[in-house]
Formats: sequence, structure tokens, C-alpha cells
Amino acid sequence: MTMTTQRRSRPTAAPPPRHRQGWARRLRQDWWIYLFLLPTLLGYGAYTVYPLLASWWFAFLDWPGFASAGTFIGIENFARLIGDDLFWNAFRNSLVFLVFAVPLRVGLALALAIVLNRRKTPFKGFFRTLFFLPVVTTGAIVGVVFTLLLDASGPVSLSMVASGLLDSPANFAANAGTSLYAGIAVWVWKWLGITLVYWLAALQTIPQGVHEAAVIDGAGSWAEFRHVTMPLLVPFLVIITLIDTVAAFNVFDLMQTLTGGGPSFSSEVIEIFIFRTAFQATVPQLGYASAAAVLFGLLTVVLAIVQALGIRWARRRIGPS
Amino acid sequence: MSRRRFIGGTGAGVLAAMLTACTGGGQLSQAGGGAGGSLQWWDQFRPLTKMLQNDLFAPYMKEHTGIKIERRQMDAPDLGQALQVARRSNQMPDVHSLAGLGGVSPAALVGSGWFQPIGKLADFQGSPVGQMLYDGIHRFNGEIYSFPPFSGRWHDAVPWFNTALIKEAGLDPEEEPGTWDKLRDIARRATKGTAGDVYGMVVPSKDPEYLAALVHRLAMTAGAPGPGAIDWKTGKYIFDSDEYVAAVEFLVALHTDKVVHPASPSMGPRDARARWAAGQAAIYLWGAWFIGGLLVDEPEAVKRGVGVWHIPCPEPTRNFVYNPPQPGTFWVSSQSKQAKTAAEVLLRMTGKEFQLKLAAAMDQPPALADVVAEADVHASYRRCVANFQDDVRIGPVPEVGTPGVWQVLAEMRDVHPNLGDIVQSVLTGSTSDIAGELRRFTEKMTAERERAIEVVRKKGVQVGVDAWVFGNWDPKADYGQQAYAER
Repeated sequence: MTMTTQRRSRPTAAPPPRHRQGWARRLRQDWWIYLFLLPTLLGYGAYTVYPLLASWWFAFLDWPGFASAGTFIGIENFARLIGDDLFWNAFRNSLVFLVFAVPLRVGLALALAIVLNRRKTPFKGFFRTLFFLPVVTTGAIVGVVFTLLLDASGPVSLSMVASGLLDSPANFAANAGTSLYAGIAVWVWKWLGITLVYWLAALQTIPQGVHEAAVIDGAGSWAEFRHVTMPLLVPFLVIITLIDTVAAFNVFDLMQTLTGGGPSFSSEVIEIFIFRTAFQATVPQLGYASAAAVLFGLLTVVLAIVQALGIRWARRRIGPS
Repeated sequence: MSRRRFIGGTGAGVLAAMLTACTGGGQLSQAGGGAGGSLQWWDQFRPLTKMLQNDLFAPYMKEHTGIKIERRQMDAPDLGQALQVARRSNQMPDVHSLAGLGGVSPAALVGSGWFQPIGKLADFQGSPVGQMLYDGIHRFNGEIYSFPPFSGRWHDAVPWFNTALIKEAGLDPEEEPGTWDKLRDIARRATKGTAGDVYGMVVPSKDPEYLAALVHRLAMTAGAPGPGAIDWKTGKYIFDSDEYVAAVEFLVALHTDKVVHPASPSMGPRDARARWAAGQAAIYLWGAWFIGGLLVDEPEAVKRGVGVWHIPCPEPTRNFVYNPPQPGTFWVSSQSKQAKTAAEVLLRMTGKEFQLKLAAAMDQPPALADVVAEADVHASYRRCVANFQDDVRIGPVPEVGTPGVWQVLAEMRDVHPNLGDIVQSVLTGSTSDIAGELRRFTEKMTAERERAIEVVRKKGVQVGVDAWVFGNWDPKADYGQQAYAER
């Protein structure tokens, strides 16, 4: 029988809190780096954070534009908004714009991208440039130009009369029944190029081998698109659609110059409603306009959250590659 | 000094400079300039650009070395926005007009501390426009805050016509269409009797404000009291009166005749002028500044031939168009440190010499309208101003009689669709129920005014609907200062 012995160990001190010391030390040693970052932080705070918070506060004020400050009135502005037919008219117009413009922009850009991505398509560079050019023009200028193009003596109307599609000249941007859709058409035309670039980039991510395998298996163009290309593009579809959706709520410059929100408020989107209430009313209503902006902002935030969730879902579907 | 310390110090200096610029700290040096310094002047009068610079600012600066006057000209909407932003950031110009601030009354702005008085800095009361100064419009609590450099005898429905096209249609430019029917007939003949795509008239329907102003003028020629669509005997709104319905129906009739340029719904007033200048329309109803603007932007159209008629009435019996007393145009900011300089410059605008120059610019007629007869102006502009003496009368203004009215107006919220919106809807085919729409608008306006009066009265202000009643108003005479006293 053997006898075993256990050696006693001496107690040791706890390790120092290195993280805290590291951060403090870094701040002390590299203070000038943070000093240079300060202007950006101040700028972001002054021009993004402060206006955002201020507009939330203004939404609870009765503030005529010529006064130096407003008077707190609680949720009265929101209650008034709920009963304002023109607010809901603008809200509805914005939703109609969204529902029609985004699918049109996404779908048309995808179709063009597929055509321009084919090897056999000639002058691809030229056409890509051609479709992208409107993107770099100023929205307000586009609005002014298309006012002329779409009026009763403009080329669109005259050519439709000449071809028999119309009995008499029409003012597409100045008719209550067509003004919003004229704005949609122009907006899609202007921004189609950038969505086209998104789709071209997405198409480039599909391995060529997948296409070759499909061809070897005897798939035709449509079958290849339906069963191979499109499933691989679905994650990008989500992202691109969400990006275009948010963009569809930033159409003020184009619509203001093209239609001014009229006639008869038929094309007044939410941004024009806010602008009109804040700056063009007989007595500008800053608080009321802020309340409308807050509601509009809430909607945008909701969309942004959906976008984030969509991106997360897309990443899981794509996987680590 | 270590490299890091040097870079950090430089960065701090740049940061301080940026913050100073952002917060407007640079104005401190300007404020401390003493007798010298710059005077910032903002307005919307594009045709007056050369005249203001050469005939007002330059002479003053030459006589007062160290003073620099800097003017910014903006379109009315842009000016309005710029003023609101500048006001809240304490960067107001020293002198500015009120264009683009909607219908906010000067009284409301004075009451909110926008301006400072100038009556004790220069002798406006003793100037040639001294008799044109009204309480509630130019003078508040006994202090003069502004003055009218322009005449109140004007309107913005002047029938300007292309002389060449009128002659081409076989018409005599000197034969005025005194009635609406005659104007329609001329428009029809101009449309059919000229070569190419020429239309009798152009009516810029994209701008509801233009349409509202036009209907107001036409309704007054039909006998409606004015200004402001108020029945001065009862104080009630009359947007739904026969005169207003008739005015809208007249515009519809022009469209039915197919004499209105088909692209009119897509045009604003300036677009319409450009089309008119291009020879696409024979007649355009706009203000006296029409020809001044043409000379700046489309001078070839003036050379081709521009004529003017009296505003037509529905019947041969002539009625008047009514305007309020001309409000002050330029105001001195309460934030200004150059008030004395501003007052001295402004006072020069009241003298005959400057009024002649103002007339020569062919914008709104000068306050001393008589000088137009001897000013260097186009014959049609001279005739236009002469026509104003025949056609325009000065009407009552509730703010003059009752100081509390401005608070009611400031409290009132916009009612939509308003008159301009309704007319736009009619002309673009959205509705044909003219009488119904005008009646509903009248009812809403009445209710809104009553609501505003109630709110203001709760604040202790003595005001009621009777503030809008002027029983001694004579439709054939100016409602002058004596009339207010006798009310």
C-alpha cells in the first residue's frame, strides 16, 4: 500500500483590469485622433440628430411660421392631421406612387439588366451609359423639362394624337387623372439606371458554371431564368426593392417642379404636403408640418427596419460564401 | 512642440473657425463696425435690379463711404423660405420685402417683433407719400414701420396683347374689348385668323394663386365688392355670389371656345409669358410688370409690338376693381444694426427723382403715379398706368379699422380647396360644380373665421365680425382715411 501526498499551492493575485487601462491609455495617448473626429460628430449631431429631435418636439407645438417660438398644445396637431382630408390624400398618393413605381422600376431594370448582361448583346457599354445618364441629372431640372415634354403641345401628346391614340392633345402632368402617373413614369425613367446597375452587379455574382450546367442539362432561356437565375437573385430582389421603396418616399424635387402637387392635389405626395404646410400656407404651420413629417418619418423608420430584417434574411439564405 | 501637439492645435483652430461660421459669430465684427458696415437687402423685384443698384444704392454709397449695400434678388417662394430660416437663425437681412411669406399681414409680423420702426430715423410723414400711410398697414402704435413706394392703384388682370397678331387677325388694336363677350370674340378671331398654332389667350392654370387673383378681378368687374370677397355691408364672405360664379364661368367659356392655349394647365405665370412672347398666344392677362419683365427676358417681343387694354367688364356699364391701400414693401429687421442707414436709403425712394426711375423700370407703378406720364417708359406701360386710374379704386381694409383683426387673420388656418384650387379643378376638368364648390368654400371660410375670432377673443382682444363691416363704403369712390374716421 502506498501513501500519496498533496502539495499545497500558494494563493496568487488577481490579474489587472487590462481593458479599462487600455482604453484610458489609448485616449490619453491618441487624444488628437478623437479631436479630429469631433467635427464629424458635432456635424452629425447638429444637422441630423438635433433636427430629428427638434421636429419631434415641434410636432407638439402650435407654431405660426412668423413667430419666434411655438406654444405647446399636446397631441392636437396629430388629432387635426387625422381629420385632414388633404393629409390622407397625400398619404394615399404616396402609397400609390410606391405601389406602382417601385415594381415598375425594379422589374424594368431587371429586364434590361438581363438583356445587357448577355454576351451576344451588342453595344452593351453604350446602352448602359445611356440608361444611366438620367441618374446624374438634377431632379428639379428633370421636372421642368418634362413639364414641357408632357404638356398639350409637347412631343408626347402630339405624337399620340398623330398616331390616333388620342383624339385631342392632353396635359399629362396637369390632369387630375394622370398627373400622379406622369410623375411615376418620369421618376422611373430618371432612376432606372441606378437600379439597373444594382441588377447588373447582382447578375455578376452568379457563377458562370451554373449557367453552363443548365445549358448542358437542356434548359431553355426561360427555364434557365425561372429555375436558375431568379432563385439566385431573390435575395438581391429583396434588397433592391427595399432600397427603391425608401427612395420612393423622397420624390419632392421632381414632383414639385413637375406638377406642384396638382391639379386639385391629385399628385400631392406627402413631402409636398409638408412643404406646403410649412412654407406656403398663408400662415405657415411649422408645428403641424412637423407632425406630418413625424408620421412620415415613422413610416420610413418602419421600412428601414423591414429592410434590415430583409438583409439579415438574405444573408442567411446566401450563406457564408 | 511635438508633431502631435502641433497637429492637434491646428485642428482645434480649424474647429473653432468652423463653429464660428456655423453659429454666425462672424456677424459680430459686422455689428461692431460703427458708422460703416454693410447693409443686406433682399427682395424679389428682378426688373428693378439695375435701377436699384445704379439709382439708389450706388449714389448713397458714393455719398457715404464705408457703407456697402448688398442686394439679393430671389423669386418670391425662395425669398419667403429664406426669410423664415434666417429669422430663426438670427441672420435676417437689414431690409427685405415680404414676398413669399404667404398672406401674413404686416401687423402680425410687427406684433411678432420682426421689424423696428423707422419713422424717427427719417421723415417719412413729411415725404410725398406721407398721406398714404395708414394705421394698421404702415404705422403701428403711433410708429411708422414702412411706406408704400408703389401705387395701390393697380391690378393683375391687364389684357396685354401681341399687336402683330391682333393686326394679322384683322383686328384694330385701338378698338378695346370693353366687355367679356367682345374679349371672347377677339380671342376667337385671333385663334382662327392667324397662321400657325396661335391661340387667342393663355391662362396659366398650374398656379392656383394666379387663378384666384384673376377670378377676384373678374368678379369685381362684374360688380362684386372688394378687396377680399367681403360684402362690406354685412361683413360676410361672398365667394359664392353671382359675380364670382360668373367670373369662373367666363373662364370656362374661354376654354369651351378653344381659344385658350391647350398647354395652359401646365404653365405658371412666367411660363405663360414666355409662350406669349414666343407668339403662341395673342392675349395674356397679367400685371403692369409684364412689360418690364419682357424687356429683361424677351425684349424681342416688345420690339414686335405690345399693346394694352382696360380690363373688360361683363356689360358695357363699367365697374371698378378694388385694392387695399398699398402696403409697405420694404421693412427693416429688428435684428438690424443699420436701421439709420436703411431708413435714409428708403426715404430716397419717396422722392420724385427716384419715383421717375422706378417708373422707368416698368414694374409695379410708383406711388407717385403721376410721374409715369413724364417718365422714360414704353407707351403701352404709360397707357396701362393711365388705365389703372380709370379702373381701380381703393377699398376698405379691416386691419385699419380694428387693430385686433390681424390676430384673427394670423389665427386663421388655410381652407382647401380654396378659390384658386377650385378654379384649377374646374379648368382642368376635375369638377363642373362651380356654384357648389364656391358655396362650400364660403361656408368653410366663414366657420374658420368664426373659430379664429373666438380664439382671439379668449385672449382678451376686442374683435368681432363687425370689424369687417364698412357701411359707409361707396363702390365708386376710394375708401380713404377720412372714411375710416367717419365709419
